[in-house]
Amino acid sequence: MIYEICNFLMQLSETFSFFRLVNYITFRAIMAALTAVIVLFLFSRYFILFVHRRCLLDQVRETGIDSAFDKRGTPTMGGVLIVGSVLCSMIIWGNWRNPFLLCSIAGMLWFGLIGFYDDMAKVRRKSGDSGMSEKCKLLLQGGFALLFAWICVGPYAPLGPELATKVYIPFYKHALVDFGPYLYGLFIFLFLIFVTNAVNITDGLDGLAITPTIFVVGVLGIFAYVEGNRIYSAYLYYPYLRNAGELAIFGAAFLGAGLGFLWYNAYPAQIFMGDTGSLAIGGTMAVISVLLKQEMLFPLLGGLFVSEALTSQIQDKIGVRWIGRRIFYRAPLHHNLQHKGMAETKVVIRLWIVSGILALISLATLKLR
Amino acid sequence: MFFSVHPNNFFHLEYTVVQSSLIVAFVLVFVLLVGLIVLASRRWRRLAESEPRVILTGGGTGGHVNPALAIAEGIKKRDPDTQFLYVGVRGKAEAVIVRRVGYPLVFVSSEGFPGLRPSFRTLRFLCRLSLGVVQSLFILFRFAPRWVVATGGYVSAPIIIATLILQALRLSPTKIFLHEQNSIPGQLNAFLGRWVDRVLLTFPQTLSFFKKNGVVVGYPIRGSIALKPREEAQKDLSFTLPPGRQVVFAFGGSQGARTINRALVDALRHLLPHRDRLFIVHGMGLNQAGGYDAAADTRARLEASFEPEERAMLDTFYYRQDYFHNIGNVYSISDLIVCRSGAGSLNEISQLGKPAILIPKANLPGDHQVMNARAMKHGGGAEILFEDTIVEQGEVLEKLEGGVLAEKILRLLNSPQRLNEMAALSGQFLRRHAVERILSELYQDDSYNNGTGYKSIPFKPLLTNHRLLLVLQRAHQADPMGYNPASAAGDEDDLTYYQHRAAGLLSHEPWQDRNLGVKLIGLTLYREKIPTLLHMLSDTTPTSWIKRCFGGDFKQVGFIRRNIVQALQILDQLDPEVERHLLRAMEDPYFEVRSQACIAAAHFGPQLVGKDNWLQAVIQRLKDSCFEVSVEAGKAVGEIGVDHRALDVLLQLKESHYWQVRDAALKGIKRLLERRVIAPSPELLKQIASFILTTTDFRPHFSIKETYQTLQKLCRERESENVVYAAPEILPETALRKRMS
Repeated sequence: MIYEICNFLMQLSETFSFFRLVNYITFRAIMAALTAVIVLFLFSRYFILFVHRRCLLDQVRETGIDSAFDKRGTPTMGGVLIVGSVLCSMIIWGNWRNPFLLCSIAGMLWFGLIGFYDDMAKVRRKSGDSGMSEKCKLLLQGGFALLFAWICVGPYAPLGPELATKVYIPFYKHALVDFGPYLYGLFIFLFLIFVTNAVNITDGLDGLAITPTIFVVGVLGIFAYVEGNRIYSAYLYYPYLRNAGELAIFGAAFLGAGLGFLWYNAYPAQIFMGDTGSLAIGGTMAVISVLLKQEMLFPLLGGLFVSEALTSQIQDKIGVRWIGRRIFYRAPLHHNLQHKGMAETKVVIRLWIVSGILALISLATLKLR
Repeated sequence: MFFSVHPNNFFHLEYTVVQSSLIVAFVLVFVLLVGLIVLASRRWRRLAESEPRVILTGGGTGGHVNPALAIAEGIKKRDPDTQFLYVGVRGKAEAVIVRRVGYPLVFVSSEGFPGLRPSFRTLRFLCRLSLGVVQSLFILFRFAPRWVVATGGYVSAPIIIATLILQALRLSPTKIFLHEQNSIPGQLNAFLGRWVDRVLLTFPQTLSFFKKNGVVVGYPIRGSIALKPREEAQKDLSFTLPPGRQVVFAFGGSQGARTINRALVDALRHLLPHRDRLFIVHGMGLNQAGGYDAAADTRARLEASFEPEERAMLDTFYYRQDYFHNIGNVYSISDLIVCRSGAGSLNEISQLGKPAILIPKANLPGDHQVMNARAMKHGGGAEILFEDTIVEQGEVLEKLEGGVLAEKILRLLNSPQRLNEMAALSGQFLRRHAVERILSELYQDDSYNNGTGYKSIPFKPLLTNHRLLLVLQRAHQADPMGYNPASAAGDEDDLTYYQHRAAGLLSHEPWQDRNLGVKLIGLTLYREKIPTLLHMLSDTTPTSWIKRCFGGDFKQVGFIRRNIVQALQILDQLDPEVERHLLRAMEDPYFEVRSQACIAAAHFGPQLVGKDNWLQAVIQRLKDSCFEVSVEAGKAVGEIGVDHRALDVLLQLKESHYWQVRDAALKGIKRLLERRVIAPSPELLKQIASFILTTTDFRPHFSIKETYQTLQKLCRERESENVVYAAPEILPETALRKRMS
């Protein structure tokens, strides 16, 4: 909004030339982050009260871990706060003609809505285990993934036709291989579904999902800034993506919202993000990393999410269902650590440290190529 | 294409001569067919109104055929001119039984429903059924029946479907009556039942399946099955009955039951000493299909287990035949009946008021035979023996020990008073006059409408395996010491059946089933199966290589072995054999088995105290690579340690990486102290002071939640007490002022 107004005023007369500040991405990014935090702080108390009064509380889930017992009754659906404040901030500071921004916001909203329905179903049926059915969830996620994959490889690709189906890997300068539209489309489809569900699985302890998200989105924002800047991208041998800078602003807004949310979500949590939050975050991260050509960096950058998802799936699908034994003591990863005798706070902080280190290593790939 | 249309001229059609003549021929044939069908249908209507004609169908086993014959008998008595046609499937029970009764018999093609999963058998089923339907259409047009009386089984499916089609096309005036013998309807009956005119039910509880068109009538029994005086009944028998004998009649339905046949032959060995006061009549059954030839198998078993001279002795008190057509006479002479608990047998026994030993067939849909047997036992007319599932030479078989059967037979025969009592109660068991009720339905004339005069069957459905597991687990968790599975699962009989059903699971192919079976055997306290459990526990047959690539090890997967150890602990019976296997489990490749074995060692602690090999094994486990195992081993050492050796190894754990291990070591030391193995001393205090006490875990203390929970608990307790509380007196202001003044 402000971006449009300022540009309009600058066209009108020379007196408003100081508004060219809005054309600097760094300025808008910082302002977006601040706006997001402020919006979140303004509304969070009322939101938590509202959620509590409507009894939208976390329901008991059969995890077999003692501490899970204490958690029921915590207000959930904090994802609405995150998504809402990011959206407010982007409405004020974003350039809504930018295809990158539109794609990311569409992803965030779509996945957020899926999560919202899931949360509502859980509350309504009074059981943490019986939300939306697995099949239905996957179908809705798959629907968006399909659409997005088509956008990415199809005629409206925001990256332009020559870059659209190429794949970059970390620590290597040039595009490694051209997958071709079908294979790359399939890859994007699976990647989206995997990442969203990974964040969903990670969101099991107070503050466990949101801090790594801040790291990941922050690093992706830096990548967006570099790739959207002609000089830096040339210097660091990245493909120049003309509109990608907008994603740095979006990432900053997300980072701000995440920080604000952590204020309330840190142990012991006053609100959970619920599926609304975890699916929205997952969807956003997946979409941004695909748009920035950093999908191969994600296993490293979001290594925490990936390992949580893998442990959970290996334990359940291969171990318990198929070969009939436990492969890990417990799954996913954070429950395993808890089972080994670490308190929740300790597990969470250690995993933050791990994800911070991973983010640093990923940031190093900017130059180490 | 028969013709082509020119795009320019729509009305310009081109025919060739051949094409047009073909069309004409088709139309002619079609018209002719329709005309024929209409004519046939008019003839049908005329015939059905003038002459009573009835198609009987149903079969596969005698339990389906006999009710049909009983209904036919009833119709014939009321309307002697009635013509009958029996429609059956070749080679089944009806071929033998119906021929003998003398009704004209035709065969159609049909097959049992193989289940919803698409397979080759589904295809064959569909082909045979369609062929059967076409055959049935011809039969129907030719015979022109007024009613179709079907008694279920897949045999009756084609004729019912054909009639339903014709009814839908309004070509047939026929009414369909479907009789369901069981409390849980068969698949085809349940499916077709919703469209037929009336479903005649044996059990009131079946009404819930056929709310629209069901009526409860009972089980029709043939007039020939009536109690006759012994002397009279004896005349018509195919064997001579020596005087002064007690007669036991054992049979497994018209098709025969392998379990009963084999158990009876085995039981003969035990009955042989009583041959001068007993007479055993054995109906072997007609079955020859499915790899089991009842007669041949019985003969072979007899020859295998008895010497020729013994067989001569057998002949003095044992008679066998494949099927008794005059079964009423055999019933009449017998003092005790051993049979399956199908609705047919049960009703016949009840009709004649005979005591019975019932051997229900397990794992049928809804467990209906078990339910029948259970109901009859509640009524007091029967006793139950359950068959066991065993693996013999790689083949899964149901088996009943001959000795058990013989013992039960002898015990009942030795107390005539009990027999008489059972006979009296058996006679009151089921509703009578089913035939009359059915006739009243057929003729629609309310000729018999007596809805009372029967004892309704107590109906409490049996639990499914998963449900049972939940119920038992909850009961066991609530009170492990006073755990009584019988009261949790129902009564003793139910528990016995559940035990046998659980044992049956052990031979299933998917490991999930075996796992469930193992858990259930433990929780139902089925101690007889301990040897099987032990065998499974130490079974090291490797699983498929692909599973081994992912970490699988043996065919009896890790969960099964862990649950076996747990079950052994619940079964709480430590003999040398169990001990040996538990010791082996201590070295199992799967960590959960090892830790469960340590838990078991702690559980059996009092019995293991002083056994050096156990102490050694548990101490070994303290250094296990999995901390879970070390934790349980530490606790176990506290239970079975007898000297300073135990204390020393526990003290060595003071710097262990995992706080749980250190905690377990301290707990172990505490137990040693409590058991007075070691004495509290300043020295010990110094030793435990060197334990690392820092930990990575703690328990949070949410004071507000705790207060809330105490309040909640208080409210719940008081709620049940029903105390009347005085309402605090709040006076209105005026009253207050008045009081002041």
